[in-house]
Parts: sequence; structure tokens; C-alpha cells
Amino acid sequence: MDSEREYRPGQVPLPGAGGPPAGSPARPSSRDGIRHARRMSNWTLAALLAGTGAATVALARHALPASTGAGTTAAGSTGTAVSGGQAATAGTGGPQVSHSVATTSGSGTTVSTSTKTVNGKTVIVRTVHHAAYHDN
Amino acid sequence: MTTTTSAVPGLAEAPAWQRIETGDPAVTVVERAALGTTARLAVWPPEHAGLAAVAADRVLAALDMQASRFRADSEISRVQRSDGGLFMLSDGLAEAVRVALEAARWTGGLADPTVGDALIALGYDRDFAAIGAHRDEPLPAAVPAPGWQQVRLDGALLRLPPGVRLDLGATAKGLGSDRAARAVMAAAGQAGGVLVSLGGDIATAGTAPRDGWPIVAADRPDEPGNSPAQPVRLPAGAVATSSITCRRWQRDGRLLHHIVDPRTGRPAGGPWQTATVAAMTCADANAASTAAIVAGPQAQAWLTRAGLPARLAARDGQVRCVGGWPEQDGGTVLVPPVTRVYAGAGPRGGAR
Repeated sequence: MDSEREYRPGQVPLPGAGGPPAGSPARPSSRDGIRHARRMSNWTLAALLAGTGAATVALARHALPASTGAGTTAAGSTGTAVSGGQAATAGTGGPQVSHSVATTSGSGTTVSTSTKTVNGKTVIVRTVHHAAYHDN
Repeated sequence: MTTTTSAVPGLAEAPAWQRIETGDPAVTVVERAALGTTARLAVWPPEHAGLAAVAADRVLAALDMQASRFRADSEISRVQRSDGGLFMLSDGLAEAVRVALEAARWTGGLADPTVGDALIALGYDRDFAAIGAHRDEPLPAAVPAPGWQQVRLDGALLRLPPGVRLDLGATAKGLGSDRAARAVMAAAGQAGGVLVSLGGDIATAGTAPRDGWPIVAADRPDEPGNSPAQPVRLPAGAVATSSITCRRWQRDGRLLHHIVDPRTGRPAGGPWQTATVAAMTCADANAASTAAIVAGPQAQAWLTRAGLPARLAARDGQVRCVGGWPEQDGGTVLVPPVTRVYAGAGPRGGAR
């Protein structure tokens, strides 16, 4: 459609209908408008393609499970390094603690290790707790 | 054991916790029942015990509401009632599921969160305390795990196929210890240090006592004479233990336990009765200790490849130390500063 739409005084074009109302200076021709629209379409298409590609990559990286095959054991795979330096060097600035503060044991059972004084001597007391209700 | 709640500032705001006298005034140790087991905090400076207990309470309550398959009102129970579908999870449950799936990937499926139906088929479908009343019921056919690869998690969006029921038991308790340790350090302004134990799965954060946190690794705590416990020092990181000697029940004349081999749907039957593993986070340690029990004869090789210190106790009472776990009592357990399944906790109480 090559003919330009003429706007009468007082008419207001619809958004994107091709420029300022009649009487305004320097209205672009429809051929320029089509070229502009094509350029914009091309850029929009390129942006959409790039965006879709980036989104696909991001989803693939975040979605679980990833590509590790069934039954393979990845024990030796590289993990995430924890900031804070060597684990072995931590814990040098705290207080002196001599008695056990916790016991690692099977799920649902905790051993309390505490001390009490009997006849002037420190005696280690172990108490076993078995879970009386649900596990998690 | 001496308990009191009055001597620690702020502990009255967390009344479920009871103080335990250990003989060391430099740390405060408090304990309570939580998540079906016992939660314990060791904190320094001692006056931080109150704020630590309040912070840990919030973490444990949230985890219970997110991930407990024994609570009908928990988020995971609501998800599983739908028998498959797409679900937008809370951030907390999404993290718990993500950690479980990462653990499954890392362990090659030895610690698989899709063992929910297998556990239910074995009779572990109710409060553990109520299982004994059903010991004469017949044991249904084994239900191998459908496989963690069927579960998709994209951010907080979970796609669960019909017939796949999750059980986060291999990682959730460790994750809870990690979260609680991080929360305590945040509440304390990153000052001092904390040890959190949930049923024996231990996470630490902040600065440890000189020479490390003194802890005990126990194989059969109910029969200490048959298999001696070992005191060790933990300067940083976490330790978790999985054992077939706990949470056992009978069904149709057979003795069962709660560590299921995902490949068979039956309780794991390898040579190890207890596996204690140290790692940077408790979720990592928890996953690895479960995987070691399930791996059976391959456990030593797997742990060596993973580079994790471990203590394996066989059914005959023999103990094997792997990956640098100290042979001597009082030795130091050094963990590599690397995480595989969860990076939320670290030596400074939350560094990623």
C-alpha cells in the first residue's frame, strides 16, 4: 500500500500508524516506514533468537538432573571450593575445650557425653538417647 | 548428666533446650528433641547459647514443615499427595530437593531420594515408634527406586512423575545441621563458633576450639562394649554417620533397617554396619555415609576417589580408616575444603 493516509485537522492517528498528524512537518514516506519496520523486525528476530539461545543454555545448566548417566559414580568429580582457606587450618583461635561435646552415631540415636565429679575425680558420663518418635 | 535452663542468658526464650554440663566452661552445650531425634548445640562464647538456640529452633521448625514425610501438613507431603505433576516449591524445599538430587548424581544413585515407595513397602510408612505394632504384617514385594533421573528441578519448579515418591532422609538431616550452624553464626554476627548435631550428624561453623571440636565417633552406641567409640578432633567441616544398627524393625519375621539400596528396594546388605564420613558440609557427609553403606564392598574405593576421610565399621566389629581418618584416638579429622552437594556452610559460617 503506497498511498499515504491523509489526516484531517483534529484527527489523531492510532499508535504506530505512521507518524504525526496531517500538517506536521517532515512526515516520513510509507516506503521509509516499511524499511524501518523491516529493520526493526530483523533486529527483533535476532534478539529473540539470541534470547532463546541464552535461555536454553541457562535452563540446561540449572535443570536437574544433568547429563550424568545412570549408574555412573562421580565421586572423583571436582566439587566447589569453599572460601575460607584450608579446612585443616581453621579452629586455631578458639578456646581450649577438653571434653567431648557431641557424638556422631547412627541416625536416631544420640550419645550425650558429659562429665561429673565423683569423689573429687572427673568422670565421663555417656547417656544414649533413642528417638521415641518419627525420623525425618 | 546435669541439665539446667537457668544459667544461660537468653535460653529462657528457647525453653525446649536443656543445658548439659560438660566440664568445660569455655563452651555451652544445650540439647533438645527435634526432627525425631536429638538436636545438640555446642557454642562459644558461652553467652551465645541463647541466641543460638533461638536461631536453631527457627531452622529446625522450617525444615520440619518443608521436608518431613511424616507430617501430613508438611510441604513435601502436600506435593506427594498429588501423585505427580508440576509444583512451585518454597525456596527451602527446593534447596532440600536440589541437595538430594545433587547427592544422587554425585553418588551415582547410591543415595537416591526416590526410595520413598521402597521405604513404605518395607513398612517404614509411619512414625518409627508405631512400626513395632505392625511386625506381623506380611512384607510386600520389593520396590526398587524409579531413579532420581526422573525428577526434574528447575529453580523452584519441580516436575515429579506419577508414582515417584521422594524421601530426603539421606541428606535432609545433614542439611538441617548445615543450615542451623549457618543461622547461629549469622545471629552471632559471625563471632565465636558453633557445633550443631542432629541425631549425630554434625556441622560446624565459625572458629573451632583450639585443636578442633572434640567429638566421639560411635559404631554401636547402645552396645559400647562390643565396638569401642573413638574420640577425634574436628577443626572444621562436618561429620555424619549412617548405620544399620539403628532404626531397625521387624516385618513378617525379618529384621529390616532404614537404609535402602535403591537398586533392589531392600535394606542394604553390605559388609558395613556403620559408616562415619567427614566432609566440608554435613549434607555432603550425610550423602557419603549413606552411599558407603549401600556401596558395600565398593565403599572404600568410592570414598578414596571422593577424597573423604571415613571410618567404616564392619558387621564383625573390624574398623577400617579411609582417606586419612586418624587411626589413633584423639586424632584430627581433616576435611578437604570442597563441597559436592551443598555449599551453604563453610568454615566461616556460610561462605559459599
